[in-house]
Amino acid sequence: MNWKHKDLLDLDKLTAEEIKHILKTAAPMKEILARPNKKLPTLRGKSVVMLFYENSTRTRTSFETAAKILGADTSNIAVAQSSVSKGETLLDTAKTLQAMKVDLVVIRHGSSGAAEFLADELSAGVINGGDGQHAHPTQALLDFFTMQERLGELQGKKIVIVGDVLHSRVVRSNVLGLKKLGAEIVLVGPPTLLPSEMNYLGVKTSYDLDKELPGADAVMALRLQLERQQSGLFPSIREYSRLYGLSQERLRQTGKDTIIMHPGPMNRGVEITSDLADSVQSVIEEQVTNGVAIRMALIYLLIGGTGSVVD
Amino acid sequence: MLWIKNAYVIDPAQRLSGINDVLVKDGVIVKSAGSLQPADVLEALEAQRLDDVLQVEGEGKYLFPGLIDVHVHLREPGQEEKEDIRSGSRAAIKGGFTSILAMANTTPIVDNRALTEFVRLQGERAAMAKVYPIAAVTKGFLGKELVEMMDILDGGAVAFSDDGKGIQNAEMMRLALEYAKLAGCPIISHCEDDSLAGHGVMRKGEMSARLGLRGIPASAESVMVARDVLLTAETGGKLHIAHVSTKESVQIIREAKKMGVDVTAEVNPHHLIFTDQDVILTDASYKVNPPLPSAEDQIALLEGLLDGTIDMLATDHAPHTWEEKTRPFAEAPFGINALETVLAAVWQNLVLKGKITPDQVIALWSLNPARRFGLPGGTLRPGSQADLVLFDPEYREMISAETMETKSQNTPFLGQEMQGFPVMTIVGGKIRMAGRKLLDNKEEA
Ligand SMILES: [Zn+2]
Repeated sequence: MNWKHKDLLDLDKLTAEEIKHILKTAAPMKEILARPNKKLPTLRGKSVVMLFYENSTRTRTSFETAAKILGADTSNIAVAQSSVSKGETLLDTAKTLQAMKVDLVVIRHGSSGAAEFLADELSAGVINGGDGQHAHPTQALLDFFTMQERLGELQGKKIVIVGDVLHSRVVRSNVLGLKKLGAEIVLVGPPTLLPSEMNYLGVKTSYDLDKELPGADAVMALRLQLERQQSGLFPSIREYSRLYGLSQERLRQTGKDTIIMHPGPMNRGVEITSDLADSVQSVIEEQVTNGVAIRMALIYLLIGGTGSVVD
Repeated sequence: MLWIKNAYVIDPAQRLSGINDVLVKDGVIVKSAGSLQPADVLEALEAQRLDDVLQVEGEGKYLFPGLIDVHVHLREPGQEEKEDIRSGSRAAIKGGFTSILAMANTTPIVDNRALTEFVRLQGERAAMAKVYPIAAVTKGFLGKELVEMMDILDGGAVAFSDDGKGIQNAEMMRLALEYAKLAGCPIISHCEDDSLAGHGVMRKGEMSARLGLRGIPASAESVMVARDVLLTAETGGKLHIAHVSTKESVQIIREAKKMGVDVTAEVNPHHLIFTDQDVILTDASYKVNPPLPSAEDQIALLEGLLDGTIDMLATDHAPHTWEEKTRPFAEAPFGINALETVLAAVWQNLVLKGKITPDQVIALWSLNPARRFGLPGGTLRPGSQADLVLFDPEYREMISAETMETKSQNTPFLGQEMQGFPVMTIVGGKIRMAGRKLLDNKEEA
């Protein structure tokens, strides 16, 4: 398959075939990750810039590692996110990056649409590393890769996603992609974090986790921003955990060898009990490894040209 | 002296709607009647020779009283890089507005007589559209103390509003409505409950969820509309509700009018033309406050406009610099630039589509605002000020930064060709714009 997209902003513009092609490309990348010598010459001379307006050491390191393994040069522009400060605007930054003739920019930004805004300005490729509450396509892709490794084809698989659906860009990208791959998705959370407008996603929503667990092939807990309690979105962490926290006992209701996922970082004892997080059912660490593989695949597809992956 | 011939004259105040001639002398309308003969004209104008009378051919065009916009942000003093009173009043003339009401949310806020007079005088110096100041309701928009309404009224204010912010404290609003009875003019309410609006940037709904933008629920507006209507009923004050944008607000205002509450309301054309479905993540031109409504709201707004629940159109012209609007959606300021494009936008999207008649547009944008705010103009009745617009429904123009008089370009119509523009604007008998060119020389009629 010839890759034809300049950017990866979200999964809405990708076909199921294109998503599968990314997952397929990630498989040999993961093998490379397991090698003792993890340095390829493939992208030698290419430059990848990390433009992180939100702190996320995990995501940034994952992208950086991926780019470096492929032989690209990486640089970091860490920008303190402040929408009111009068500093350089995103547009100015875009112009600077354009002048530096970089090949690929990974952007993480607190405002929805920031990645698309940058992509419109740059001839370089742009990967959305998370924008506002809008999209987080690489997280979704690594989730699919992880699910596929454990569950096989995702067609017809039941995926339960539980937590703060309203504020989660992970959910949005996951649902867009999983629908294309033919999975059955159920979103679960309290009404304040799962308001009716989320119906736009066109999947089942529910307030009752225990009712949705039977038959689930994968259960994904979302990270809860604990400070949302102060905004009145839920009454207490204790009650949240009682209603929507994942535990081994609760997971027995699925009646299957269900896999447990979490985009991290976890609030242990809130979204998920520690013993479950560290159990054999948990693929949370695998998600991190697969994150590098997926990002290698994407960087390769966006700026690697048409040559074979490993030569 | 002016003789405008054979134009399709619309003057709802006189129930005039048809081909007529209009005569102007000494800044005043002298006559509007069916096609006149030179002898009638000389007699009516008390002129000796026809050479002394400027004759304007109006065939194929509409002639109506100058539009009056009760909701304009001119940004002076303090933010002249966005707009100033001169550029804003020039833009108004280009757009067919002979009178504009300037909101008080400048820097500093217009909350005293000196600043009120400054705004009025800057308008006079610009000598384009008439500029009427609206002063703040509370000092510094802090919602704590009333401004000196009577003194400010002497300085030229025609209404009071903390527009840009809702008055959060209900008792403050009650006192304002009560005290403004002295002034006899309306309190204009920007209905927005801060606790409900939060940090939202567009209307809360499936589209905001889809785009991952924080939503502002419709209740952020309608809750305060209900409050203010109740307070107006209780105090017997005069209330004007700015930029109505939800169906619940329309229902509440409709019921309030039935109950005899002295309330009027305006709607912005952009709320009648766009919905939240039109919002584009990378174009902050669509970021306005109140936010673009749902399709259902839009239907209710149009119904309200047609059944008299909503009394007038108003632009909420809110210029911002290009730099400010060229930001990710959530970070850009709210506001749309409207004065020069809005009539064409209404013409194309509402009149040509048969949703509203030209006569209704003029009643809503000239007669009703003049009546509610006690302003001259609004009609072509003999003896009235000669504020006139000659409008060519066929005239096409490309909207670009170069052709606009306003300093800002935050309009979704930028780069588009639009149809239906004023080709002559006359204020107090003086031609301020002809052939789409502003005339700075004081040509007497
Ligand atoms: Zn307002």
